[in-house]
Amino acid sequence: MTRRALAALLAVALLTAPSWLTSAYHLHVLIMAGIFAILALSLNLLLGYTGQLSLGHAAFFGIGAYTSALLTLKLEWSFWPALVSAAATAGLAGWAIGRLALKLRGAYFVLVTISFAGVISLVSVNWMELTNGPLGLPGVPAPELGPWSLRAKAAYYYLVLAAAALAYLVCHRLVHSRIGRALVALRENEPLAESVGIDATRYLVLAAVISAALAGVAGSLYAHYTRFVSPEVFLFTYTVTMVIMVVAGGQGTLVGPVIGALLFTALPEALREAMAWQWQMLAYGVVLVALVFFLPKGIVPSIERMRRGLPRSQPASRPPLQQC
Amino acid sequence: MEQLLQHLVNGLVLGGTYALLGIGLTLIFGLMSVVNFAHGEFYTLGAYTTFGVLALAGWPFFVALGAAILLGAVAGAVCERVLLRPLRGESIDTVMLVMIGVWIAMQNTELLVWGGVARSIPHPFPTAPLTLGPLSIAPVRLFVVAAAAALIGAAWLLIQRTRLGTAMRATFQDRDTAALMGVPIGRIHTITFAFGSALAAAAGALLGPVFLAYPSMGDLASLKAFSVVILGGLGNLAGATLGGLLLGIAEELGAGYVSSGYRDAVGFVAIILVLLFRPAGLFARAERIG
Amino acid sequence: MLTRAVATFVIVLLALGLAPTPGDAQAPIKIGVIEPLSGPVAASGNYVRMGAEIARDWINARGGVNGRKIELLIEDNKSDPKEAASAAEKLIVRDKVPAIMGAWGSSMTLAAMPKLEEYGVPMVVETSSASSVTKRGNPWVFRISPPSEMEALGLEQYVDKLGVKKADFLAVNTDWGRGAIQAFGDMLKKHGVQVGAAEFMEQSATDMNAQLTKIKGTGGDTLFLTTAVEQITLVLRQGQEQRLSRKVVTTGGSSSPTQLIKQAGAAAEGSYHIVFFMPWFPEAMPDGKLAKAFVDEWNKRGHPFEGLTEGFRGHDGIATIVEAVKLAGKDEPKAVRDALWKVSFTGLNGPIKFEKDGPAGKESGQSKPSIFVVQVRDGKVALPDFLKK
Repeated sequence: MTRRALAALLAVALLTAPSWLTSAYHLHVLIMAGIFAILALSLNLLLGYTGQLSLGHAAFFGIGAYTSALLTLKLEWSFWPALVSAAATAGLAGWAIGRLALKLRGAYFVLVTISFAGVISLVSVNWMELTNGPLGLPGVPAPELGPWSLRAKAAYYYLVLAAAALAYLVCHRLVHSRIGRALVALRENEPLAESVGIDATRYLVLAAVISAALAGVAGSLYAHYTRFVSPEVFLFTYTVTMVIMVVAGGQGTLVGPVIGALLFTALPEALREAMAWQWQMLAYGVVLVALVFFLPKGIVPSIERMRRGLPRSQPASRPPLQQC
Repeated sequence: MEQLLQHLVNGLVLGGTYALLGIGLTLIFGLMSVVNFAHGEFYTLGAYTTFGVLALAGWPFFVALGAAILLGAVAGAVCERVLLRPLRGESIDTVMLVMIGVWIAMQNTELLVWGGVARSIPHPFPTAPLTLGPLSIAPVRLFVVAAAAALIGAAWLLIQRTRLGTAMRATFQDRDTAALMGVPIGRIHTITFAFGSALAAAAGALLGPVFLAYPSMGDLASLKAFSVVILGGLGNLAGATLGGLLLGIAEELGAGYVSSGYRDAVGFVAIILVLLFRPAGLFARAERIG
Repeated sequence: MLTRAVATFVIVLLALGLAPTPGDAQAPIKIGVIEPLSGPVAASGNYVRMGAEIARDWINARGGVNGRKIELLIEDNKSDPKEAASAAEKLIVRDKVPAIMGAWGSSMTLAAMPKLEEYGVPMVVETSSASSVTKRGNPWVFRISPPSEMEALGLEQYVDKLGVKKADFLAVNTDWGRGAIQAFGDMLKKHGVQVGAAEFMEQSATDMNAQLTKIKGTGGDTLFLTTAVEQITLVLRQGQEQRLSRKVVTTGGSSSPTQLIKQAGAAAEGSYHIVFFMPWFPEAMPDGKLAKAFVDEWNKRGHPFEGLTEGFRGHDGIATIVEAVKLAGKDEPKAVRDALWKVSFTGLNGPIKFEKDGPAGKESGQSKPSIFVVQVRDGKVALPDFLKK
């Protein structure tokens, strides 16, 4: 079956999901997967295309969630401007990180991002007047589209689906544009790229801003779905989960993070059904190790390789640019 | 004034323990470029081994310490041989992901085996604090500082003065040349990882009796260890030692005089500042390794 | 090949989704339980679970409810609000439970609460102490544990006897710790007690020397401590190392004095603890026989004795739900919710009866639990010295 037909089948399945999924619980899992897909795509922009790993991405997620929640709760804004503000605020934070850390690469960049997330997390816990600290912000209102409330699951599902599709589109356009090619050039060989006139600073900061803004969108969607925001959004486990989704799904591809998001949102829930609580997390860790071991390049690139008859793993080399 | 002195004493003791955590990781992260998120789990392993040997088998304290260090080394060696070596050529992110999986698996295994209740590890030192005027310090903490200093010294001697140490430094400076010179690269990698993990286990064995042993004790330890490594410069043993001390004092003073809520932020802000202004670490020298 | 795989996948999904659930009149009554069974507070979550399991076994041994056995569906919220919400969703939608007990920590409970309203399923809150839990206007929430304000009220009668003139606070930096500082601070100020320092510690912190050094310098006479038993142990030990000599009062009920004595030793001597269950002298509880039987059963199962101060919550939570199901006559969520307002019986902690709490028209239920104070004397748990006089 051609790739197009497969994509069409998937699109139809996703668009009609609320009708053929009999359980609202499955819809809940899909909604969470959608939110995480946006997160994974955003992290992938930095990790897969610029080669810089941000382990503080939960900070942008959380900033988006808190911004959106505070604006709708305290200033009684409508959801839509709050969503945009969440993206903008997170994007601003991304700009700050980008500019501050532009001198650093590799492990040092990673540690700055971790530290940044750590500081933001502590601020959210301690700055009681703004964030209500550990007591959190309950009762975040559901979005409304004109006269309709989007509180119902099916409605919210379509909102998240639309947002995820939009995020995918943004990434796609970005990657296949001049900016995208510049990013890849920087990733593959920075000194060479700079010698050709590509301004590393400008492009890395741009990638950071867009990446953070997307994460902020995911945060806002999360806040209005769970309708409760607390400092736990900054938990390191969220970042770890995102990283798992991107790397296991296939960094540097666009579909990879989405597949990773679907898989690793469904996996803990499937484990919840399959085994007693004592064994769930252990199984999760084992699955992770096994997955990385046997598919070190990630799921999507490994499938691509199999289709092309190549061995599953080769010495480290980034996947080529023209990946869907 | 006496408050300040007490804070400094507290900070030094705390810093000694951070230093111990840091030097193990600086070898693994700094030399092998493995983002070892499971470092804290070897720390936890050391603590639980000490508990098991002391409380269950009833052997003496120092035997328990030795057993913990040994088990840490073995576990590290196995981890490197089984998981890391086959992934040698992969990107740093893939390896990091594997270590994340190891982290999850180890922590939850500990939860299964020992349960979630914190364990108190008995130690042979008197509980009454030693006093020097207005200052107080518990004897067991002094022991920890002394033991940490001894271990750090031993590590330094190993790296600088033995053939093995030279081989390690050579491997990480220039792998291909070292291989050409007959250095067994594979074995060096295993030994380095085992050594770093043994140091983490030692930290856990020493700190377990001071605090408590519980399954998630390694999480914060990992993060602090990374802070120390950055402060001191990757691969820099002396730097990690000084970095650990500095971090301990800075945290203590921050918590004492600024705000206890933002205590951990001190470490984070320190990392950010150091990386912005002196990315090679506060104590960087021309030669990075050792 | 890929086509077939995808087709199979889709068909399997459809099959799973469309599979009918068998309905059976003699099927067991399912009760959902959401607790932190892994993560930093795994011990507490597991104690609550153990208490719930004893309740289940006792009830089933007596023939169950309305002729049917009860079954506990236990989910782990991993100390993460997101997981608590997912667990609630699964229990309500997949397992169709008529009621849930959970979710231990206040953030977890607050995160699960919107699901209760969305689907119309009641939850009995057994541990959370944040006042917002019952003030949010969620008519599906029923709490049997005391909010911090009630706890402070429970201590009020002893403030003079304790001889508190200037108090300092050291609390874990969560909703629980902050709420306690607020509630106890207000109560103490009403009695003319001076409040000195209010320090915090992160949930995972192990070194509190900085905070203790600061507190040492305030000249207060009493330290109010709110955190879990592991941190209390560390604080007491480190306080001893710093020669901090003042009265210590722990609040929140999670201090597990038995474990404290074991792990902190002499450092715990003289400390006072607010608890909601006294396994050392069960006959002193409102229903002495029930309490003694529970303690005996707990010990028989080999559970750690120190867990009793939290395990009782699991028992009382399940007992409350079962009582409501009995009154309702059926295991249907709305009927159970309505029946919860009529529940009135004596659990391990004391009488359980819900009163309206929160905004009018959407009140939640709040019971008035009993508050007790014990003291560590001569390495054992005893009634406080000021009571004996």
